Amino acid sequence: MPLLIAIGVIALILILMYNSLIARKNQVDNIFAGVDAALKKRFDLIPNLIASVQEYMTHEKELLSNITRLRTQGLKPNLSDTEKIALDQQVTSALGSLMISVENYPDLKANDNIMNLQRTLNETESQIAAARRAYNQAVTDYNNIIEMFPTNYMASWMNLTRKEVFVIDEHERENVDVKELFNAS
Amino acid sequence: MKSISDLTDFYYNTLYPTIESLEEQRKALANRAWRMFAAMALLAVAGIFLRWYYFHAFDALSSMFVIAGAIIAAWRYRHMIQDYRLEFKMRVMKPLVEAIDSTLHYMPAASVSQTLFERSGLFQGHIDRFEGNDLIQGSIASVNLQFSDLHVESLTTDAKGNSHRTTIFQGLYIVAEFNKHFKSQTILLPDNAEKIFGSVLGNWLQSKHFGRDPLIILDNTAFEKAFVVYGNDPIESRYILTHTMMERLLNFKQKVAHPVSISFVDANIHIAIAYNKDLFEPTVFQSLLKYDNTMSYIRALSLAVGIVEELKLNERLWSKL
Repeated sequence: MPLLIAIGVIALILILMYNSLIARKNQVDNIFAGVDAALKKRFDLIPNLIASVQEYMTHEKELLSNITRLRTQGLKPNLSDTEKIALDQQVTSALGSLMISVENYPDLKANDNIMNLQRTLNETESQIAAARRAYNQAVTDYNNIIEMFPTNYMASWMNLTRKEVFVIDEHERENVDVKELFNAS
Repeated sequence: MKSISDLTDFYYNTLYPTIESLEEQRKALANRAWRMFAAMALLAVAGIFLRWYYFHAFDALSSMFVIAGAIIAAWRYRHMIQDYRLEFKMRVMKPLVEAIDSTLHYMPAASVSQTLFERSGLFQGHIDRFEGNDLIQGSIASVNLQFSDLHVESLTTDAKGNSHRTTIFQGLYIVAEFNKHFKSQTILLPDNAEKIFGSVLGNWLQSKHFGRDPLIILDNTAFEKAFVVYGNDPIESRYILTHTMMERLLNFKQKVAHPVSISFVDANIHIAIAYNKDLFEPTVFQSLLKYDNTMSYIRALSLAVGIVEELKLNERLWSKL
């Protein structure tokens, strides 16, 4: 009888460990789906943005084609999470450069369509930023549980490996002054 | 919006003659109230004495004289100060509110509705009595805002089977339009567990909070120490609580010396500040001219109206333009 109880307790602990590992793994996947949705939203904005700015921006052809190329890459099926994370960083910085370049074209800055696109992009960027932070927290929880004793043994048996987090740029942490942004646009 | 010093100037320059005349009224009222209390106390003592003199008893019935005296005195007092209270509110509070912003409406007898209180999801427990007053409603920099004093109680039964009222919330309750669209619910409560037990044990205890949405851990240590956050959409909670917003909320919390609970529900922000007293009431046994009393009205009003500026609720994203 005591042996049976001991086996029962051990089995229960193993089940709880297994379930909590699976819950953390699924949480990461669920939140990544949210990140993905926000990233797609941004990809959807790109064609319209490029079409609106390209006739004015004669000196930034390379930057525009780079953004288009990144978008094509980003929409490829079967991209791994790590690839998507790497692409996100490139798209964020390329779009950032594009928005800075817009400042050099007064006609473009005053264009209603561009202003609207800039605001939509700003809104989408803030949704992406929120999704990235949620994902990073889920990954941190997941990485902690797969490295902590005793769940680390079960995690290695389940072939669970560490996941990458998004690098949050320092400027993202800074205050976004919307008023400034509106004045600039 | 006017600053605290502008409002203090307005109070002393414009409202002072009114307050002086109300002060005379207050003195007379305080005298009458003391006389009434003394008469009630005398009647209770007389009752106890007569009971002892004729029946040689000092029992439950004797204490009933005291209880009855206290109840009648409280009822009489409430009735006595009614006109004075209303006059203070209409002649002092109303102009003060309008001086902050002419679009603000002041309704002394009304309050934020029970529906708006329950919608916030901040407080749990069945509401037995919902009371409030001093509703202020309006639009500051195109942001709709309302706030009032609230006193919300539940009925609880102790181990002996005696039921008594427990306060769920008493203080200032503010509801304002938020500048972002969202569908989820995010609740921020004062973080007591983390303060007492530290972050690891505190977080574990908070994650076991039944009846609440899952715990959300945020990437700002100071904010995490100040608030415990529950939400049903971890991405949307972070969409609302950006790094900038967390800083603003922390600053706001530091300004308020009372527990603050905040919720984001139905595209609105709900803020409950537990002052544990009825604000915006005139004093009866203390001078109306006392500086501290004056400043407490002005500070509470500017704090509530100031949230629009403090949290930059007027900086709308294009989707809410």
